[in-house]
Amino acid sequence: MWVVYTLNGLYFAALLFLISLGLNIILGVMGILNLAHGSLYAIGAFIAAWVIIAIGMKVPAFFLYVTLLSGLVLAGIVGFLMEKSLIRFMYKRTLEYQLLLTFGALMLLEDVIKMIWGGQAYYASAPFDFLGKVDISGHVYPIYFLFVMVVALMAGLSIWLFMSKTKVGIMLRAISLDREMATGLGLDINRLSTFAFVLGSGLAGLAGALVVPTTPALLGFGHDPLILGFIVVVVGGLGSLKGALVGALLVGFTRSFGIAILPEIELPLLFLIAGIILVVKPEGLFGR
Amino acid sequence: MSKDISRRKFLKYVGATALSAGSLSATKVFGQAKKTIPTTPVKIAAVSFLTGAAAAPFGIPGYNTFAMCADMINKEGGILGRKIELLSKDEAGGVDAQVKLCRKLALEDKVDVILGYISSANCQAILPLADELGELIIAYDCGTHELMEGKTSPYKVPMFKLGFRSKAHLGIDNIGMALFIKKYYPKIKTIAGINPDYAWGRESWQVFEVAMKKLMPQVQVVKTLWPPLGNTDYTAHISALMGAKPDIVHSSLWGGDAVTYTKQAMGMGFFKNIRMAYSRGEPYPQEVGKDFPEEQIVCCAGTHYFLFIPKDKASADLQKWFVAEYHKRNGKYPTYPCYHAYQAIYAYKYAVEKAAKAVGGWPTIDEISKALVGITFPTPSGPLTIREDHNAIEDCLVGITKLTPKYPFPILDPKRLEVYPASQVNAPVGIKTVDWINSWK
Repeated sequence: MWVVYTLNGLYFAALLFLISLGLNIILGVMGILNLAHGSLYAIGAFIAAWVIIAIGMKVPAFFLYVTLLSGLVLAGIVGFLMEKSLIRFMYKRTLEYQLLLTFGALMLLEDVIKMIWGGQAYYASAPFDFLGKVDISGHVYPIYFLFVMVVALMAGLSIWLFMSKTKVGIMLRAISLDREMATGLGLDINRLSTFAFVLGSGLAGLAGALVVPTTPALLGFGHDPLILGFIVVVVGGLGSLKGALVGALLVGFTRSFGIAILPEIELPLLFLIAGIILVVKPEGLFGR
Repeated sequence: MSKDISRRKFLKYVGATALSAGSLSATKVFGQAKKTIPTTPVKIAAVSFLTGAAAAPFGIPGYNTFAMCADMINKEGGILGRKIELLSKDEAGGVDAQVKLCRKLALEDKVDVILGYISSANCQAILPLADELGELIIAYDCGTHELMEGKTSPYKVPMFKLGFRSKAHLGIDNIGMALFIKKYYPKIKTIAGINPDYAWGRESWQVFEVAMKKLMPQVQVVKTLWPPLGNTDYTAHISALMGAKPDIVHSSLWGGDAVTYTKQAMGMGFFKNIRMAYSRGEPYPQEVGKDFPEEQIVCCAGTHYFLFIPKDKASADLQKWFVAEYHKRNGKYPTYPCYHAYQAIYAYKYAVEKAAKAVGGWPTIDEISKALVGITFPTPSGPLTIREDHNAIEDCLVGITKLTPKYPFPILDPKRLEVYPASQVNAPVGIKTVDWINSWK
């Protein structure tokens, strides 16, 4: 079963990585602790579920997977509107204001989701069912979980390439390293911040869309991912891409093997890891 | 479905059964009146999850049934001539919000009765308010057996003067499943459990484990898992269970959790060697569809199953009407929360009519409360009795899933259905469920 435990750890880590990647970009570049990140994840899940249910199996299978991008797009749009209308007024405010405002945004978005999609659960398992199963070393495993791992890997690589090789990415890194200096050098901080927020929001939406074929979308869908995302950020370090990856893998594997070996401590396990890191290395494994 | 019952015939049976339960028509009460019957509608609050994880599987089906029954009662002329005004409220928001809502319903809205609550935590917070507020409250779906049981046996009943539960508690599901497993799978050696990590899951497993130890002492527990409520990734749990290689896995997972777990387990080849025993599994074959695995043990939280025909004619005819009418209105077959909602609203109706017969005119809350004790009335899943501990007792139906050409989801195999009588799955009045099981010879 160790192969399956490892795959489970990788699958969970892939989801955590996508969630925490967006959270980390927003935190690193903009210095904004976005409590509404989980709601953007939920928006991604709801829109993807809605689209999948609407089109069903009426389209070629390939498009079924393209529809998952609807989560990225809608969450990105909502992120854009949030940044323009709320977040940009918080850049010079202290952390308490950010927390209050983004918590308000969380409540607001929950109500918007309720208003649009109502209180019922949305089941959209067609992408999961369609891919079927594969035999790995004598163990049956859903191909969809492998698909999620590949998407997370591709997203991580794309972000890494973008941040290290493109002009915009380098400017974003400059802002995250020293916002005042970047301003002094004439970078368009406002526009770049909007871009970073949209990118982070889109990644949250993509994570939500990827999850929804495996579990129904329902109200409150984003609460747990937000907490898990914070655990990964605490473990990996604020604003670090490498930290998000290592943190997600550490949390994913600990959970997978922990449930198999010590199931009684499933709930406190992840908080225990975060607690130990906070005591031993408060800035996180790769934090600055 | 079998042939439809006509509305006229249905009304005849309802009328007859109501009379047999000790009721009188409004006209007759007027004739003997010592008290008057108000002309205003009777205000019934129906509190049920309309949003959140419990809405789709329980709250909305429950609400749909409250509305359907209120319509039917109103078409018949109401309760003693008073039409029902149904106030539908959302159970979401947590215990504090529900306590506030309950006080508002009783003190500001001045409802005649509150029917509601799916969450065991909400029930435990709300039912004690019945006596404090002087409000009749009938819990309709929550399962915890601790709600009305004392700390030690024997305990004093009733726990609440004006608080009732018009359904049996989770004891019946888990005792019923243990009895079923003993009969159908006597050679199993190992069991495991995956239950949500809060009162409902812990208590369900406790009762099942105690019953299994008593009935099949040779069976070993090889794994117990406690995923959090609302978990979206069960892969680690599924592989941990597969690694432990149990013969049967007990689960009280519900709603989206049960569906998510089942779908992910299907994808991981779980059902190839392991059998699930779902303590409240009745809604999920319909929810998952034809892919829901066959040969799984499913309990119906009573005898609440759309294909079950009760032995008594009044209940059997009600069942025909209930299934057909619910399907016509909602496009789905009724699931167990629907039956629970029926039980709650008709318990109130019959109790009012029974009390009115004794006192003449519209009874007080205390008189309705007294009338509820010992009442027996037909329901779509069979006659229901509310005991002196203010808790209803029910028979329990357990079966095994089987795909047939007639339905787009597995049904319970008619050849392997067991109905355990209420006396076999409910502890006697005043005795704790676990103590009662431990006393079995």
